[in-house]
Amino acid sequence: MLSVERWHRQTKHDSKTKKSLPAPIVLTDYTNGVCFVSAANHDALACGVTPRMSLADARALEPNLKIVPADSRADTSMLEKIAKWTTRYTPWVAICGRDGLWLDISGCAHLLGGEDAMIKDLTVNLSNFGFTSRFSIADTPGAAWAMAHYGGEENLIAPGAQRLALSSLPIIALRIGDSKAAELIRLGIRSIGDLYALPRAAIAKRFGMVIGERLDQALGLMPEPISPRRPLPRYRAECSFLEPVSRKENIEACLLQLLKDICSNLECASQGVRQLILDLFLVEGATKTLHVGTVRPVREAKCIAKLFAEPLSKIDSGFGIETMILSAQVVEPLTESQINILVDERDEEIIPLASLLDRLGSRLNFEHVTRLVPRASHLPDRAMRQVSVVARNTQGSWPETQIRPLVLLDQPESVESITGVGDCQPPEVFRWRQNKYSVSATEGPERIAPEWWRRDRAWSRGPRDYWRVEDEEGRRFWLFCECRKDGQCNLSHWYLHGFFA
Amino acid sequence: MDSAIYRIGIYTDFLREMYIDAPEYAEIQVTSNFSFMRAASHPEELVTQAAAFGYRAIGITDRNSLSGLVRAHVEAKKVGIPLLVGSRIDLKDGASMLAYPENRLAYGRLSKLITLGRRRSPKGECELYREDVLKHATGMVLVSIPPRSYNVEFEVELAALNSAIPGFVYLAASHSLCGDDDAHLDWLSKVAARTGVPMVATNDVLMHRESRRPLLDILTCIRKNITVDTAGYWISRNGERRIKSREEMARLFVHYPGALVRTVEIAERCHFSLDELIYEYPNEVTLSGRSPQVELEQLTTVGSKKRYPNGVSEKVKNQISHELMLIGELGYAPYFLTVYDLVRFARSKGILCQGRGSAANSAVCFCLGITSVDPSQSDILFERFVSSEREEPPDIDVDFEHERREEVIQYIYEKYGRERAAMTAVVVTYKSRSAIREVGKALGLSQDVIDALLKQPLSLLRSDIDLGQLREVGLNPEDRRLHLTLRLASELLGFPRHLSQHVGGFVISRGLLSEIAPLENAAMEGRTVISWNKDDLDALGILKIDVLSLGILTCIRKAFDLLKNHYAVDFDLASIPTEDPAVYNMLCAADSIGVFQVESRAQMAFLPRMKPRSFYDLVIEVAIVRPGPIQGDMVHPYLRRRNGEEEVNFPSEELRDVLEKTLGIPLFQEQAMKIAITAAGFSPNEADALRRAMATFSHMDNIHTFRSKFISGMLANGYDLDFAESCFQQIEGFGSYGFPESHAASFALLVYVSAWLKCHYPAVFAVALLNSQPMGFYAPAQIVRDVKEHGIGVLQPDINHSDWDNILEPRGAGVVIRLGFRQIKGFREEDAIRLIAMRGNGYRDVPSVWQRSGLRPAVLRKLARADVFNSIGLGRRDAMWSVVGLGEQPPPLFTNAMMEEETNESSSIKLPAMPLGVEVAEDYDMLRLTLKCHPLELLKPQLSEIVSANRLLSIESGARHSVAGLVLCRQRPSSAKGVCFLTLEDETGIANIIVWPEKYEYFRRQILSARLMKVSGKIQSDGNVTHIIADEIEDLSVMLDELGSECQKGAESKPVYGINKGILKSSGSSNMLALRSVPSLPTRG
Repeated sequence: MLSVERWHRQTKHDSKTKKSLPAPIVLTDYTNGVCFVSAANHDALACGVTPRMSLADARALEPNLKIVPADSRADTSMLEKIAKWTTRYTPWVAICGRDGLWLDISGCAHLLGGEDAMIKDLTVNLSNFGFTSRFSIADTPGAAWAMAHYGGEENLIAPGAQRLALSSLPIIALRIGDSKAAELIRLGIRSIGDLYALPRAAIAKRFGMVIGERLDQALGLMPEPISPRRPLPRYRAECSFLEPVSRKENIEACLLQLLKDICSNLECASQGVRQLILDLFLVEGATKTLHVGTVRPVREAKCIAKLFAEPLSKIDSGFGIETMILSAQVVEPLTESQINILVDERDEEIIPLASLLDRLGSRLNFEHVTRLVPRASHLPDRAMRQVSVVARNTQGSWPETQIRPLVLLDQPESVESITGVGDCQPPEVFRWRQNKYSVSATEGPERIAPEWWRRDRAWSRGPRDYWRVEDEEGRRFWLFCECRKDGQCNLSHWYLHGFFA
Repeated sequence: MDSAIYRIGIYTDFLREMYIDAPEYAEIQVTSNFSFMRAASHPEELVTQAAAFGYRAIGITDRNSLSGLVRAHVEAKKVGIPLLVGSRIDLKDGASMLAYPENRLAYGRLSKLITLGRRRSPKGECELYREDVLKHATGMVLVSIPPRSYNVEFEVELAALNSAIPGFVYLAASHSLCGDDDAHLDWLSKVAARTGVPMVATNDVLMHRESRRPLLDILTCIRKNITVDTAGYWISRNGERRIKSREEMARLFVHYPGALVRTVEIAERCHFSLDELIYEYPNEVTLSGRSPQVELEQLTTVGSKKRYPNGVSEKVKNQISHELMLIGELGYAPYFLTVYDLVRFARSKGILCQGRGSAANSAVCFCLGITSVDPSQSDILFERFVSSEREEPPDIDVDFEHERREEVIQYIYEKYGRERAAMTAVVVTYKSRSAIREVGKALGLSQDVIDALLKQPLSLLRSDIDLGQLREVGLNPEDRRLHLTLRLASELLGFPRHLSQHVGGFVISRGLLSEIAPLENAAMEGRTVISWNKDDLDALGILKIDVLSLGILTCIRKAFDLLKNHYAVDFDLASIPTEDPAVYNMLCAADSIGVFQVESRAQMAFLPRMKPRSFYDLVIEVAIVRPGPIQGDMVHPYLRRRNGEEEVNFPSEELRDVLEKTLGIPLFQEQAMKIAITAAGFSPNEADALRRAMATFSHMDNIHTFRSKFISGMLANGYDLDFAESCFQQIEGFGSYGFPESHAASFALLVYVSAWLKCHYPAVFAVALLNSQPMGFYAPAQIVRDVKEHGIGVLQPDINHSDWDNILEPRGAGVVIRLGFRQIKGFREEDAIRLIAMRGNGYRDVPSVWQRSGLRPAVLRKLARADVFNSIGLGRRDAMWSVVGLGEQPPPLFTNAMMEEETNESSSIKLPAMPLGVEVAEDYDMLRLTLKCHPLELLKPQLSEIVSANRLLSIESGARHSVAGLVLCRQRPSSAKGVCFLTLEDETGIANIIVWPEKYEYFRRQILSARLMKVSGKIQSDGNVTHIIADEIEDLSVMLDELGSECQKGAESKPVYGINKGILKSSGSSNMLALRSVPSLPTRG
């Protein structure tokens, strides 16, 4: 359910409708090539669709199913967000399975007016966010889980009352796994209460210790520790000042210290940082956040400090800064490279370029600093694309077999052929932008046909024959003419598309 | 088809004139779509296009394959262009080359070369090396295909090849408009000069026209499992690899005119034609010194004496000599002897078999024992076989027991050797569903859009796309990708995808089969396949024998064995008493569960109306309830005439001969063909072409031509339009589901034999049926239920009494059936054998079973769940408890004391008794049937106003009532125009439900998912058959779940999140509907 509602929340941003989910919706996933339902909403469940059913079966039940691919990462991060949000009730929150949360509310409930009121508050708030939820409170995690999942209307177990409360719940509520539960049911042991009467040894012999353990944990005879969520980033440094700091030099000095801390940690792990966040907590209660990024992993504290200089100078620190927290958001492996005693020219070149890009990027925003990467296409104008210099995963290499000009014009430009030799050859003399060029050598043609599955206005007139042409002064041009239907060239119209070196 | 050729013909002449001045050219590097997913045109299209451009010849060179050649050959003869037979040989250790044999011997070597490569690699692959080629190269022109860029190794390799077979090596040069062609050709010409290998022009053709370029790219995407958007450089640069005009070729090779001339030189050298292949029958079928004809005559004489101990009647004698004369004339004796040999082998091994097919029901075949249909008993004509003018090879299919057919197949391989016997291939082609799915995927459509498209009827792929239809399913008809998908999918229809093996077609030859066509491995272990399909073999006059499998033969043989063991009577197919009125009485009462062919619901409804009283009635029965006659609306007129409600008349005197036996209604395939010949003026060959055209989808376009010819032919001969149209409609139906009379007769015999067994020995028949599963129409639950209704006791499988198979146990004067371990789901035969072998004087308790049999506890758990421990006093739950208590370690023999302790401990624990409902659910889960009580019996108290199924018959037609029952099957046959048939079962019997299309749409969910269903509606009865026309349908499956999960209503709190909604459900009580849900009508084989 969580995942469906997560999806719905996401798409709601577009449609802005705040109605409840209208139609049966399922999220689907693949295992071994079979598409199955991973989650379904109320309407879909009402149609008889259940999670783990194959999509084909679900479709047969309800042909109008809306089908959305599952996104377990989005689910997890949504659950994380909810968990984070619930820390307002208690600091001790843990994630349980794909769609559950543990909240240890020892000593917290009275702050919200008691357990009942707390549950109500939680439920109402979550439903405002668009989530269906069920809470249950008990002495032990096991009992609370059982009640939340199988407890029907009841959701509170009075202190010490779990033995009675659990006795009528199905055996599966003990979290012992489907197969063990099925086996027990087959033997007639259906509810948790049925287990009370059986000798432990006989059960342990047949099903292992886990059943007895789970039972004891639920009943409070055995502890069940729950570890809280750990949202802290791995590389993080903070410093608080006794007196608020507002002088630029002091702030920078402190930042450098934080950076050094982080960088030495990074060095131990052979990591470098690509993105950093600096949180500044101001005296008046506001917080300011600064982001910087780099084109490649770095860990030189001084270099990074330079990147912060620009944005930091724009910060109005008001009455002063109380606390600074610096955290590394994205880190990548950065192994130690050997220092070359003889200065390597290439390094000299690259490092300044990289740091130039870093500074350009942090000033202009990295989206605006771009480079070209190859894209596999026969069409020259589609064979590359622009990406941000910091973009990752730009695979592919420039093809070696394709003969492509060094400079490609954005738009092919018409050239006037002054004399032609006919027989499918490019003109001997042509005029481009008022200048005449006499051709001394030609090579070609290369016939390139449009990508038939795309609408591309530039290529709407069919295949082109490209020629490499050299004029008497050694300039090399890329000329083309368009092919007619019968495969012959349309010799009267020639275009220039680029220049070779 | 004619008109299409005609058009191309004109075009051809026109173009020939146009290109009269262009230099001569023959294309020698052509890949057809038989190099799967690599090229975008059919061999026929390529050949036709080449002829249109006035090529001197065209060679088809598929990759390590000769598969597409027969089609190209047939087409090339039609359009009048020489076909160069060849193949492209891809090597593991060198450049590929084109191989063109100069003569028959060289062709044999080429075929052997490919066979060599194919046989030593898994299905679909071919592993060849340079030395293999050199060993087979005598008489073969080899055209080496150079790499695209400069390569020294290639030059060395080429020189070596040339010195090995001087004068036979060429170098292929293609101008592919890649920009660097001048340099490429320049390099090649220098290589040619240096090595002395002449350069020959090719265009490396992948398609017949440029318009196939999109399809070519799609095929590449399918092959690489990518989409057009991610294909990058896999997309073709341009559409130049097509059949080009000679002028264009001349222009491309303007600097190398010699390369063009050499194409013609190769065409003249390699004049081998597939017509030179002469097929010969194997010769070891006769004893030495005798000719096949003499051998056949002698065997027939010997056989006839056995078949007719009281002397052969004059009629049969005449028939035999007539047939023998014809066989002698056409030289088919070795064929009959080959079939006879198979039958003789099967018989020696105790494998039951029967022949069918046009020639199978001849008197000769009866005498040879190939068939058991006595020609003197039935009145079947053999025109189809006898008509020598058509030169159609005889057609005998032999059915064997489905469990033992493999023995026969291996006998063939053993007797003739892998080199002389092979199974025929089936070219698996793209059908509309697969085409849409794969084209959609290659174009990057999302899965749900593809699924939505797949739901559409076939018409989407015809030229007129119904846009409204697309909009209805929520698709945007203006979407370009959608249009492309549909257009390209329809182009892809009929394209071969891969070669598969025919179900049972065998080719056996005298010489090496691998010299006729390449052999390759099938996907199945131990099978080899010849790379041509049935049509290809027919076109070249190569005979094949169909070795098929049939489940009912297994059942009948097992029944015969049981009769021998328990009743000491010995029968075979031919010796069952004929025309037994008791058998016909039983069939008239539609008591036919398990009886071959007539057990389907449609047949059961039909039997009481047809009232079969003789063998020939069964022949008609088998042929009439089939899609062909049903679609042609032949069933009801036949029944009316048979019951005397309608006058029997004939459209004309000439058709009286054809239709007399079937009361003026065409029912058999032969009759339909004969109408085409006598009434519509078709020649026999045309009629046969018509039948073939119907059977294969790829020729669908030609149907209109046939249709108009057929109808106008009949009108011209004075028949009325209605009759003509209904005849044609029926032929259409026959196309894929045709049933010739001779097949029907062979099947009818099996109908009679199985009905006779069921009538006289119901227990034997039921046990034989159960032991032959899976087969037939019904699941074990129905078979058991049916036999119990016939008064036979059935006992639970038991650890101390059961066998693997179901068996008969004597009880008093009669017998009861003891279910065997084979009924237990997931229990393996070797475990059962172990269990039985170690049984000794019987098992006393669960630990002793474990200790003695050594079966793993997981296996014992299955046994416990199947409730087989009753004879040692343990119910399901107690047995389960002790099995689970065994632990997972192997049984320690010396720790008996511990076992004792365990037993004591077990006995002190009191497990709650298993409610009957759960027992029943568990029975269904483990055995797929229950002997305890029908679930409906338990649920009856909760169901109000329900009529039992057995009371339906006594209810007047028209009344409204409700029935409830387990859903046995749901059928929506294509011939029923959207009507859905449901069969429900309650504790008293079976209720038949009809759901009209509009109700089907409304109750779709219930119909498809309910395991337990309540249906209300009007009763419609017609003599012995009662139907309920569904008005309202309710899904009561929840009640089954409750029954199976043993909770009193409301006692268990439902899980709130919908997880684990009842454990039993997820672990498979849904197997209550483990009955085959949509059985299709029985088809051949």
